[in-house]
Amino acid sequence: MQSPPFPPSAVAAPRWQVPRLDRDARWVGGVAAAIAREIGVQSVVIRVAFVALAVVGGWGLVLYAVAWAALAFASSRQEGRYVPRPKAATPSHRVAAVALITVGLMVGLLPLTGSVFALVVWPVGFVLSGMLIAWTRSGEDGSIVVVRVVAGVVVAIAGIATFAFSRIEVVDAVLALIVLVTVAGGVAIVAAPSVVRMSRDLDSERLERTRSDERARINAHLHDSVLQTLTLIQQQCDDPVSTRRLARRQERELRGWLYNRPSSDDEGHRLRPALEQAAADVEQHTDAVFDIVVVGDTDDLDAEDVAPLIDATREAMFNAARHSGADQISVFADRGVDVVEVFVRDEGSGFDPDDVASDRRGVAESIVGRMRRAGGTATVTSELGRGTEVELSLPLRVSDAGKVAR
Amino acid sequence: MIRVALVDDHDLLRAGLRSTLSTHFEIVGEADDVPDASEMIATSRPDVVVCDVHLPSGTAVDVIAQTLARGVTTSFLALSVSDEAEDVISVIRAGARGYLTKASDAEQVIDAVTRVAEGDAVFSPQLAGFVLDAFAGQLTLPEADPDLDQLTPREREVMRLLARGFAYKEIARRLTISIKTVESHASAVLRKLQLSNRNELARWAADRRLL
Repeated sequence: MQSPPFPPSAVAAPRWQVPRLDRDARWVGGVAAAIAREIGVQSVVIRVAFVALAVVGGWGLVLYAVAWAALAFASSRQEGRYVPRPKAATPSHRVAAVALITVGLMVGLLPLTGSVFALVVWPVGFVLSGMLIAWTRSGEDGSIVVVRVVAGVVVAIAGIATFAFSRIEVVDAVLALIVLVTVAGGVAIVAAPSVVRMSRDLDSERLERTRSDERARINAHLHDSVLQTLTLIQQQCDDPVSTRRLARRQERELRGWLYNRPSSDDEGHRLRPALEQAAADVEQHTDAVFDIVVVGDTDDLDAEDVAPLIDATREAMFNAARHSGADQISVFADRGVDVVEVFVRDEGSGFDPDDVASDRRGVAESIVGRMRRAGGTATVTSELGRGTEVELSLPLRVSDAGKVAR
Repeated sequence: MIRVALVDDHDLLRAGLRSTLSTHFEIVGEADDVPDASEMIATSRPDVVVCDVHLPSGTAVDVIAQTLARGVTTSFLALSVSDEAEDVISVIRAGARGYLTKASDAEQVIDAVTRVAEGDAVFSPQLAGFVLDAFAGQLTLPEADPDLDQLTPREREVMRLLARGFAYKEIARRLTISIKTVESHASAVLRKLQLSNRNELARWAADRRLL
């Protein structure tokens, strides 16, 4: 047999495709919607047909289950877009066709209903639908899937039990009860996705509320900080120094709030907030601007251990701001595994280290001495006209170093 | 003369940049959003695009991607108020040759544009710090390319000096190497950052904040 020689790209609409389960328009599994879309009729027509067939001893349920299994299997293997093509010329033709096929099936299956049904079809139908429900993945998370699987298995077992009981002809009342329970169970499982959806809606509502709380918090913060500062700046716009200082302080504060929010409560456990704070302190008294870079900053530092380092850094920043004449001062901190290093550098006037009079106790005491007492080192390098760099190094205790997760 | 395009959604900032840069470069185009930007870059073919990171309908990453998709070759210099690691690293990984914060003064911006136009990399101290963080530790994955996923000791040294606030010239002096060598180290680091297949690198910025 020869296949028609047209290249796939030349065909506008593809040949017949296996319908996909229509999950958006589904009531149960999307089978009726999928078939309706393929044939080109309203899905209510197919649903009526299924119900009508279900009334005839339950054949509709069996057909539904089989179609569901087939479509779910086929759909999972198909890629690409699905373009349904109506199969008959006019809508009324299609409806008539569905009706005729349904009636034909009903008439055809009616003789089988009495004997076969009670014994085989009902139980098998339940088992099949139970398994399908158990294995249908509807994108729920773990615990719900487990519940659904367990429930599905229970329905299946109930179905088998019905089968066994009806065979040995136990009292009708027991049978009816079991059937009732299984049907109720099945309905509950079918309804499960809706229940899940409802609880999800509740979740999203809660999320929305959290969001609006967060928004209120941000508004309050911006009002207290940024708006206040802007007002102050408008009042003091004749004074460039204080305007600049206000703007700078506000910028630092806002950045800290935006980017380092979690650590703002326990300052000192990370290097950055502590250094930002030191820079803010110095900026209060001078008009220097600090460019702070921190590497390897983790939040496991003991605030007390690094306090001497932070104090020495603040002192170095203060010296640079006051004496160097540079308007931008770089601060670089590197948290290593067992050592913290800080560099404070300016490109200002610099000085000749040999020239420093013994009365300049600032550097000797508050930086070098402080670091030495803490078990670290401090080195000051400076060259006239080339600026100054203060290098601070503080070894961390082993217990601290062990905690570093790098 | 180096042809420069400006992409920023703040008119005032763009006007300021234009007046600063127009004395040294030819400003060939301006845009204030992602679609306009890629259109403008495709028609005006600048040597360097000075691009804000956050735009109304996307980021500089989108502008770079769309420009590349059109097959236009140009160099990007990202300019942003954001110091956030994620912003900086994502823009650099998308292909930008440098990153400056808006706090940079005119001289720095002019210098950076010139450098980027020559094919060099521009590191602010902050970016150098992020790079050190990104390549931190001795984490080497089995599938990782050791040449790409680690900095050489010299590169690390250069990055540390950049993070300490030294200019290329100063670094060359301190390490007694030529400025060209410093530049090639910086370019190598930038390339590693862009090509590295270490998947931590992509997630790094986010993880960093949880530490």
